[in-house]
Amino acid sequence: MGDATAGRLAPAPTPLTPTLIALAVLAVAAATVATRPVVPGLEAVMLWQVTLPRAAVALLAGAALGLSGALLQRVLRNPIADPSTLGIAAGAQLALTLGLAFAPGLIAAGREGVALAGGAGAAGLVLALCWRRGFDPVTVVLSGMMISLLAGAVSATLILARGDYVLSLFIWGAGALDQQGWDSAASLGTRLAAGLLAALLLARPLALLGLDDAGARSLGLGVAATRLAAIAVAVWLAATVTAEVGIIGFVGLAAPAFARLAGARTSRQILMMAPLAGALLLSLTDSLVQLAGSGGRDLAPTGAATALLGGPLLLWLLPRVHAAGRPAPQHASGRRLRRPVLALGGLAAGTLVLALLALTLGRTADGFHLATGAAFLELLPLRGPRLVAAGGAGMMLAAAGLVLQRLTANPMASPEVLGVSAGGGVGLAALLLLGAVSGPALLAGMGAGALAALLVMLAVAARSGFGPERLLLAGIACGAFSMALISIVLASGGMTAYALLVWMSGSTNRVGPFEAWIAVAAAALLVTPLFALTRWMTLLPLGGTASRGLGLPVPRARLVLAVMAALLTAMASFVVGPLSLVGLMAPHLARLSGFTHARHQLAAALVLGAALLILADWLARLLVFPYQVPTGLFAALVGVPYLLWLLQRGGPQRS
Amino acid sequence: MCRPPSRQRRVSRAPAISRRALLAGGLASGIAGLSSMPARAASTPASRAATLDWALLETLLALGHPPVAATELVQFRAIAVEPPVPDGVADLGLRGLPNLETLLLARPDVIFNSSFYAALEPRLSRIAPVESFTLYQPGRPPYAPMVEMTGAVAARLDLAGRAEAFLAAATTRFAALTARLGAGNRPVLAVNFGDARHVRVFGFDSMIGEAMPRIGLANGWDGPTSYSAAAPVGLEALAPHGEAWIASVGPVPPDVATGLARNPFWQALPAVKAGRVLWLDPVDPFGALPSALRFARLLTEALERARTVGGG
Repeated sequence: MGDATAGRLAPAPTPLTPTLIALAVLAVAAATVATRPVVPGLEAVMLWQVTLPRAAVALLAGAALGLSGALLQRVLRNPIADPSTLGIAAGAQLALTLGLAFAPGLIAAGREGVALAGGAGAAGLVLALCWRRGFDPVTVVLSGMMISLLAGAVSATLILARGDYVLSLFIWGAGALDQQGWDSAASLGTRLAAGLLAALLLARPLALLGLDDAGARSLGLGVAATRLAAIAVAVWLAATVTAEVGIIGFVGLAAPAFARLAGARTSRQILMMAPLAGALLLSLTDSLVQLAGSGGRDLAPTGAATALLGGPLLLWLLPRVHAAGRPAPQHASGRRLRRPVLALGGLAAGTLVLALLALTLGRTADGFHLATGAAFLELLPLRGPRLVAAGGAGMMLAAAGLVLQRLTANPMASPEVLGVSAGGGVGLAALLLLGAVSGPALLAGMGAGALAALLVMLAVAARSGFGPERLLLAGIACGAFSMALISIVLASGGMTAYALLVWMSGSTNRVGPFEAWIAVAAAALLVTPLFALTRWMTLLPLGGTASRGLGLPVPRARLVLAVMAALLTAMASFVVGPLSLVGLMAPHLARLSGFTHARHQLAAALVLGAALLILADWLARLLVFPYQVPTGLFAALVGVPYLLWLLQRGGPQRS
Repeated sequence: MCRPPSRQRRVSRAPAISRRALLAGGLASGIAGLSSMPARAASTPASRAATLDWALLETLLALGHPPVAATELVQFRAIAVEPPVPDGVADLGLRGLPNLETLLLARPDVIFNSSFYAALEPRLSRIAPVESFTLYQPGRPPYAPMVEMTGAVAARLDLAGRAEAFLAAATTRFAALTARLGAGNRPVLAVNFGDARHVRVFGFDSMIGEAMPRIGLANGWDGPTSYSAAAPVGLEALAPHGEAWIASVGPVPPDVATGLARNPFWQALPAVKAGRVLWLDPVDPFGALPSALRFARLLTEALERARTVGGG
């Protein structure tokens, strides 16, 4: 689709502008070299082993990411695909982190292989999640960002668990380009050369892929093989960059876009220009963070600085993402409960039994222990608030997920990617930096951050009458921008980073009566009105035209539902952190159990959401006693295999 | 967090929280069983201490009064190493995610906490009275707060005599190490490797930074610090300190050795060329006096070894 739409973006290739830009970037790079710190006696070494290799690595890594992004965008026919949005970089980084913590021998043997395994795993997971929706761009990016969040939460937990050991993890999500030799440059250079060669060979088949699959096949093209080859090259390039310098956010997204702006039109032109654009972009960013830094320290990690570009870029690319993915309405489940109210009662009773178990069955150094009588009363102040908060948060997430899935008609929509919780995280970071420690102050900070993210999102989406695709992408963009800010704070280390990590990992440990009450009150206040809005939720998935025909005030309905989902998400993420996937799972579970009517599905999702988080909280406390897995993360880790299983049996799409 | 007195002793009592939550509504007893916790007077000597912070754990062990419960004992035994933790101390799990039920069942009568885990304080004070210290603060040398904390902990446990003896022994040991090293030594850069390209450097506001002047060595790092250690910086930040020793405080990540061997910049550093690199066993980077003493001893021994080999 790059070919189809490139014409209206750039009038004609004007070679002058790109050349001028390249010269300007090189001038900034030269300024960086000229202003490098001078150490008497080490001038030559500093120049040849530090400054110049770094400049080279910036160019090479940028080019590799640009090529990787161009390949992915081409093969997935998705203008917003890149190693960041597909979770490839995050997967590679997580594999490196896990290797460092649990199999150091593997890391010593070769970082690249480990990173490649992680990147390929993440890409495979994302593509498997979107298989049934024909790799619809929005769904691909939704899944990719979810995998990125998951990888981030696992890393946060590892840092908490082995904090003093895996110090380099503080650089997580924010690649640094410091070099002290030519190793990285050499390995990036050879990979890039191989990647460019592969891209040249793939250029013609990829151009044919611009036709539909049948057309390409009739021209004798192995469609699947071409796709697989291109994706493999892209993943390999991104994994190498991650292994050498860490995560460099969104360069792969930006480079092809800039290439098109500079006049590249055909797929061959884009494949050749995108690496150039990526090289210039990363070089410029790296020069700027060095020039703006002080005392020999960069202003911010380069990878986090480029990640700041991600959000705005996604917004800018929004108009290009259309038509590619036709949201499929969710059909009624094959199974339908004859007496949903009775079934609901059963679910609620089951959840109560679970809650009672969670309150009584615990673990001590001597083994499992059923607390009754005095022991029960003694443990209640510890277990009660956690249980109540987890249940309340689960209900809010389930409601938010259901609203979003109905609003966008996208089964992969979930509160995590809305950007609201990440915005809350930025608010939390700001308040922590100001020195706040108390629950209410932090809650206020998170609320302000979440509200800001929500307003930006709505302002962007308003232009399309709050169209679902635009809303989701605006949410993803806000989330990407907020996560980049959070990475920068994390990379600075210190106490704020520590508190942020605790929040990111999703622990219910600090939950006390205040947080529990907040969760219950918010759940009651925000969920109740939803039952009055079930008509909207039933009609909206039919699409804008049909809904309007049925007398629905479409923009208003979308606005109200979006605000509700955002509020629910913000309140829940205060308790269980930014990630749990409960909002994704609970609505599907409810529908697959046969609760088809919107009202019943909502009620069932609420009960299931509460049950899921209560269960996760309880198991997280029991399994690795006395150590604990953060509740949100534990739920998410259980959720991913479940999602795969769900999709395997034809879940959200066809059910 | 930024109140001027170096030591903050906040003793939280249960009732204040109970009342707030009780006011919140009738479900209170269902949610939290809030009135079951008797308030304990904070002034009576305690004997069963618990702590979330390793600096306090070290101090309790050094005072010969092991806590009933502490966090991450597996890692503590590997990283902080000394003083040894006796069996019998309940492991509370991660410092960031302590197991509060285990803490409750350990029946502490005082919980020593630090500002790192301040967010948990409302939960902790429901279990036992909490005494909290701000030990590390950006830009503030932590030695004096540590001495004060040692005294305060001992006083709370009615062990004032032991604290005096321990502090006196610490001064004596620093003096003995100073004498062993003699005068005219080069400054030392104490670093902790993150990977083969990044280190954090211990500045003046860390206990490791505080230990060096106490044995007559200058801390070579005069750059910016953030929370007791600079956030990870590239190795090139070490370049301007050519005269200094580089002392790597363990643990060292597994790929650092091979990475440094292939790192031409590292090989070109004057300290590396002259063999002025010391590899020390792990030290708790956020430790208290026992960690400072351990670092001082490890550094002295390493310097002495280097001297007999003929470096320096």
